[in-house]
Amino acid sequence: EETITAVHAFPETLIYTQSFLSFVDKVNEAGAGVIQIEVRGGPEAIGMMQQPDAVRDGIVDMVYTPGSFYGGALPEKDALVASNLTAIETRQNGGLDLIDRIHQERMGVKYLGWFDSGVCYNLWTRDEPSFDADGNLEVEGLRLRGNAVYNAFFTNYLQAQVIDLPTGEVYSALQNGVVDATGWTQIGLIDLKWNEFLNYRIEPCFFSTDLGVIVNLDTWNGLSDEAKGILQNTAMQHEIDSVNALRTKRDEDFAALDAAGMTVVELEGEAKANYLAAARETTWARMKELMEATPTAVAGYDDLIAKFYDPAADN
Amino acid sequence: MEWFEALGLLVGSIMVLMALGMPVALAFLAANIIGAWVFMGGERGVVALLNNGWGALTIFALVPIPLFLLMGEIFFQTGLGSRMFSAIDKLLGRLPGRLSYVTVIGGTGFSTLSGSSMGSTALLGSLMVPEMNLRGYKSHMSIGPILGTGGLAIIIPPSALAVLLATLAKIDVGALLIAGVIPGLILAGFYIATIYIQTRIDPDAAPAYDVDPMSAGEKIAVLMRDVVPMIGLMVVIVIMMINGIVTPSEAAAFGALGVLILAACYRCLTWDSIKKSVRGALRVTLMAYLIVFGSATFSQLLAFSGASRGLINWATGFDLDPTLMLLVMFGVLLVLGMFMEQISIMLLTVPIFFPLAATLGFDPIWFGLIMLLALEISFTTPPFGLLLFVMKGVAPPNTTMREIYRAAFPFILCSLLVVALLIIFPILATWLPGLG
Amino acid sequence: MRAVIRAYDALLYTMAFIAALTLVWLMVSVVVSVLMRNLGMQPFAWLFTSAEYGILYMTMLGAPWLVREKGHVHIELVTAALPPSLRRFVSRFVAALCVFVCVILAWYGLQLFLTNIERNNFDVRAYYYPRWLLTVTFPIAFSVMAIEFSRFVFGSDLMHSGEAGIHE
Ligand code: NA
Ligand code: NA
Repeated sequence: EETITAVHAFPETLIYTQSFLSFVDKVNEAGAGVIQIEVRGGPEAIGMMQQPDAVRDGIVDMVYTPGSFYGGALPEKDALVASNLTAIETRQNGGLDLIDRIHQERMGVKYLGWFDSGVCYNLWTRDEPSFDADGNLEVEGLRLRGNAVYNAFFTNYLQAQVIDLPTGEVYSALQNGVVDATGWTQIGLIDLKWNEFLNYRIEPCFFSTDLGVIVNLDTWNGLSDEAKGILQNTAMQHEIDSVNALRTKRDEDFAALDAAGMTVVELEGEAKANYLAAARETTWARMKELMEATPTAVAGYDDLIAKFYDPAADN
Repeated sequence: MEWFEALGLLVGSIMVLMALGMPVALAFLAANIIGAWVFMGGERGVVALLNNGWGALTIFALVPIPLFLLMGEIFFQTGLGSRMFSAIDKLLGRLPGRLSYVTVIGGTGFSTLSGSSMGSTALLGSLMVPEMNLRGYKSHMSIGPILGTGGLAIIIPPSALAVLLATLAKIDVGALLIAGVIPGLILAGFYIATIYIQTRIDPDAAPAYDVDPMSAGEKIAVLMRDVVPMIGLMVVIVIMMINGIVTPSEAAAFGALGVLILAACYRCLTWDSIKKSVRGALRVTLMAYLIVFGSATFSQLLAFSGASRGLINWATGFDLDPTLMLLVMFGVLLVLGMFMEQISIMLLTVPIFFPLAATLGFDPIWFGLIMLLALEISFTTPPFGLLLFVMKGVAPPNTTMREIYRAAFPFILCSLLVVALLIIFPILATWLPGLG
Repeated sequence: MRAVIRAYDALLYTMAFIAALTLVWLMVSVVVSVLMRNLGMQPFAWLFTSAEYGILYMTMLGAPWLVREKGHVHIELVTAALPPSLRRFVSRFVAALCVFVCVILAWYGLQLFLTNIERNNFDVRAYYYPRWLLTVTFPIAFSVMAIEFSRFVFGSDLMHSGEAGIHE
């Protein structure tokens, strides 16, 4: 029996970590006598931002982390961020194989699976959002909390006033009015209790979560074919299962928020299309610039876009 | 390796090195090198240690501490502090230990401003200790209350640690924050009682020199001239926070700027005092932050090696009645608190303790508050309590280790007493949140 | 030789001076960014990021100076209980251990710095900041710290006073 070690980027109680731990349980069940995953903990065991390096250097064999945490080493992760597809489609169309090869080439890690995909981000505001004559969102006077993932969109396109704050400070910042709007995934607002202060959700949602499992390549290559098969098959099944589980969770969260008075405001028509296009294109522009600075032979910019963005899916 | 062997190796090496007289930060780094070599696979473990180090030192949450230290240093070096405390001496007359009371009352007030124990201790320490030392206070009369009120910062809202705990445990953030108000005030009351008892037992601990009697008019003049502007500065900063003009982390910068402006107004701001202030603040900051650099990885090694998880599982594996189980969990938090930093402790224990608390039938807000009190105590427990070292940075040079521990001890007892009260009267924690 | 020592001292104090300026910069950057925000302007993102990175630069550049100042807190327990001759030995031995720790960290810090250049690592916040600009501080700071600690191994001045307590 082979054993590999694993850590996860987020605290154990977070829903995304629970999803990963259920994947581990499935592997340990299917892999009895062949392959076992030993979870060493979360950010308390290896710092959140140090985990990608730790798996690269073989300190730990497997890490569950957003690609954005190693975006400096692998700009192609933005293909996932700006994707309007889930792991289910991109597994079928070969997109994830491409991402795997890029990971092997750039970082010496195996990209095992894209979990918890299909979750996107909304803008959430305290006060009722207003729109200009063309139906575009007006951001004048909005104090928007940002971070590295979405600032290109917020500042370059929306031209909003963005305030960088660590997640832990957002609760009191909302309470005091330091910020009155934030981006966040569709799921999780209730766990953070930010819904105490936020009253409006702006649709459509943009971006996608980019959480994935990466494995040290030497460890991976050293595993028996049977162990590899169990890991890969369980991961592919969990890609599908987690999309469905999180959709259910999203619907539950939205229902709970609706019941507590969250109002949904929607952008329409051309304004909606421009908003989505801007989120996507500011992110692609960033990816393109960084890819050109350090090109790989594995995949070009256009290949990636073709695999991770389907214009038909926007309608 | 079994969890207790890992625990023994890591804790043993740090204890031996510290006892030998290695600087605390270097002792952590040395223990980390050993631990990283054993548990993280040799050389790459040491590289990971350094990778962690810069990660731990590039977070905005660390910005307030040097600025609070700078604020306190400017206050002291420009003589503003001397003016204010002379005025307080005149106003409060012969009350023995008056500056200790001022520390607790001021510190409690300041806790409503600060969400961080380190920041609070840094400010009060650099503000009060040098002045109290000059005025002949024994060091435990200054160090003790400051260590105590430093911990209050995380019980009384706002508290970054309370928000994080509530988020991790998925309990109501607002309720946990509000729940801390009454126990926090009781704790402050206990601190005042402690000072009273200490001045009774040992009248020499705080100087009781005579003060010239003053007329009411003179008193008001002194109050307006020397006390109100400084208190006013604090009030302005609190208002800026409440109105959302600054975040708690940003408040310190305005504190430092405000004291600079005040000193300029009083015409006591000199180049020399600025240089001395920056130098003083830099010394304590560098000392504390190199410890942060070293200890960041130490906490992680305890977690990564399975030592702390093993300890938690072992301790909670016994079948005990609810109150005993609570005491076991409290004890685990205190033991971990001796060697780990607070956030790591929460990340480790919350997923195990809160479900356990639920099966034992504990109110989650009440239990969360008891956890916060344990974390508060762990800031000041030897051998590794970061507040102890921050205090050392601002205390008189000849202060001994025993003096600092002795100073902390009565105030740790007060916290334990509050925990006992909470166990007997849970309503102290649950009443206020229940009103909303 | 004297010129080398003078150049070295100048390096040490320049590093400490930059650390002191960084501390002041923390205040300035926060104040400016809050003022901009409250005047309805978009604060420059580099104000926030420079404060975060500033803490690392401040700590690393100032740490060697603090060794010279005997400012790194240590506890005198064993050294206080020993007779003077043995105490001098233990004190020099502990200083030698510190040199050893610093040399190890300087060496692996250099490896990390070279790896960061080779891998072209970035730290991703508001900007893509080359990571070697952060980790370059390790080989420099720990080398100078090793030299400073070695003064307590070979020099006449000892790190430990022999008086019980926590010392800076
Ligand atoms: Na507080
Ligand atoms: Na402690």
